[in-house]
Amino acid sequence: MIWLTWRQARTQTLIALAALAVLAVALPALGLALREGYRVDLGGCASCVDGATLARFEERFGLLLLLADVLLLAVPALIGLFWGAPLIARELETGTHRLVWSQSITRGHWLAVKLGLLTLLTLAVTGALSLLLTWAASPWDLIMGNRFGALEFASRNVVPLGHAVFAFTLGVTTGLLIRRTVPAMAVTLAIFAVVQVAVPFAVRPHLRSPITESIAFDGASAMKYAEGFSLNREGEVWVEGYALPGAWMLTGTARLMLPDGTAPAKELVEACFERGSPEEGPACLQRLGLRLTVSYQPGERYWTFQWLELAGFLTLAAASAGIAFWRVRRVS
Amino acid sequence: MTGPVLTARGLGKRYGRRVALTGIDLDVPAGRITGLVGPNGAGKSTLLGLASGILAPTEGAITVLGARPGPAQLPRVGFVAQDTPLYAGLTVADHLRLGARLNPRFDTALATARITALGLDPRQRAGRLSGGQRAQLALAVAAAKRPELLLFDEPVAALDPLARRTFLSSLMEFVADLGVSVILSSHLIADLERVCDHLIVLANARVQVAGEVDDLLEQHVRIVGDRGDFGALPADAEVIQAEHGTRQSSMVVRAPGGVPGAERLGLEDLVLAYLGRATDRPLEVAR
Repeated sequence: MIWLTWRQARTQTLIALAALAVLAVALPALGLALREGYRVDLGGCASCVDGATLARFEERFGLLLLLADVLLLAVPALIGLFWGAPLIARELETGTHRLVWSQSITRGHWLAVKLGLLTLLTLAVTGALSLLLTWAASPWDLIMGNRFGALEFASRNVVPLGHAVFAFTLGVTTGLLIRRTVPAMAVTLAIFAVVQVAVPFAVRPHLRSPITESIAFDGASAMKYAEGFSLNREGEVWVEGYALPGAWMLTGTARLMLPDGTAPAKELVEACFERGSPEEGPACLQRLGLRLTVSYQPGERYWTFQWLELAGFLTLAAASAGIAFWRVRRVS
Repeated sequence: MTGPVLTARGLGKRYGRRVALTGIDLDVPAGRITGLVGPNGAGKSTLLGLASGILAPTEGAITVLGARPGPAQLPRVGFVAQDTPLYAGLTVADHLRLGARLNPRFDTALATARITALGLDPRQRAGRLSGGQRAQLALAVAAAKRPELLLFDEPVAALDPLARRTFLSSLMEFVADLGVSVILSSHLIADLERVCDHLIVLANARVQVAGEVDDLLEQHVRIVGDRGDFGALPADAEVIQAEHGTRQSSMVVRAPGGVPGAERLGLEDLVLAYLGRATDRPLEVAR
């Protein structure tokens, strides 16, 4: 059965290895260029250079890294579509299941070997790609401090393995249930796309209950951690993009409030904004004792989140495989 | 030989509300080539599917080689499904290797000899073989598994007359060499007549008649007489089918004791009489 599985998967394995070989050159090349750029353009210290230099660096590598991230997100989907969905559906479509099921091995054995070997191949390919990108992008991730970003989180370390194994088993089970390759591919893509969108926005933020913290608004830290703050017509002051280093901020904008939770008087706030210079405004607001409340997942939870998400996707994959094993005994 | 290779008692299979087989009682003897004949949709594939274990019955019981079809039976039963499925992308040699890898008792020498005798190129992809060659390859793989019972679902339906004849003589060679029992379905009675020594006629999800071909031929006669006037029939005679023309009537009668002066019936007419009784749908007859 191992031989047959290999014989049937030979072409796709060779295509995967060829693609991997190309990327095994491209990704380290990107990594080396990034390190070179970090050393030369930024002088080895991202916080030491001015904004314009950093922006040039971002512009130079941002698109390439975005493409690499998207590639790592696409690989699991491709595996689900082109390895998973046809694995059983093609056999059912061409009737060859009736040939292989009348040999001396059980269907369960047949499915276990096919599923097992191709899961290993999936793990090997995705693991290699994730390892390459994680290494290549590590200086970038360090500078940007955005490891929890929807794209970055799902394309580094162990999470891509979970996505790929899930996509593969999802494809297999869908193919077994639908019995036709092309519709099975379409359904696999649809389900996987929904999951890939739903997880970073609806599931991942809640894997651990976020820390909610009230932070005193002081001029210096506000200028350092926030993108800016603004006053609207109602006299509300909103801090935008307040980000603790390495943390995953779940609060996009936070309103400045008094320590007792009430809103500061409109006149007081407006007075602060009327004092010409940019430094004086924050200092004036600080004197009012204003605070902002943010909720976030701290940076040290990164690996907890990686392992939790991997475990979650592997559980989904196991459930999907369970359905396949149950179903394959009943297919005629 | 020992007991029956296949026994069915009250066997039935439904697909949702559609009844594919019902009330099947059968004893298929060992060491024979058994023909399973009936129109399309009669339940032939379902019966073979049940025998191979690919399908599970919804009522009654089936015993194959003394046990219920299941994983333990897999090495003992060879099954060639309808349209002789093969992996189009795999070569002839790959198929033999598949057989060798997936079957503990696979006889590679036998299969290789068969392929060589047929003049098949081992490097040829199965997808590029002719229908006759595909059937022969499927037969070689199934026979080299060394099963005790070989099941074929319409193996010759898609073949031209010459390929059909070649396939059936290959089948008979295997049976003679390996001593395997065979159940073969077809809607082409002429083919079955050539190779079978036991016959099951299936129509409308039920067995219409089953028995040794020689016995069946001996027991069935056609009686022709003036319209409505047949005289007395023997007490054990059963009228299978009666046709009334304007002046003459003709009846097919099952009379184990024989009817003096009656005309013997060919196998095809016999089968058609039973199918005619069972259904209005005409049976395809190949020449």
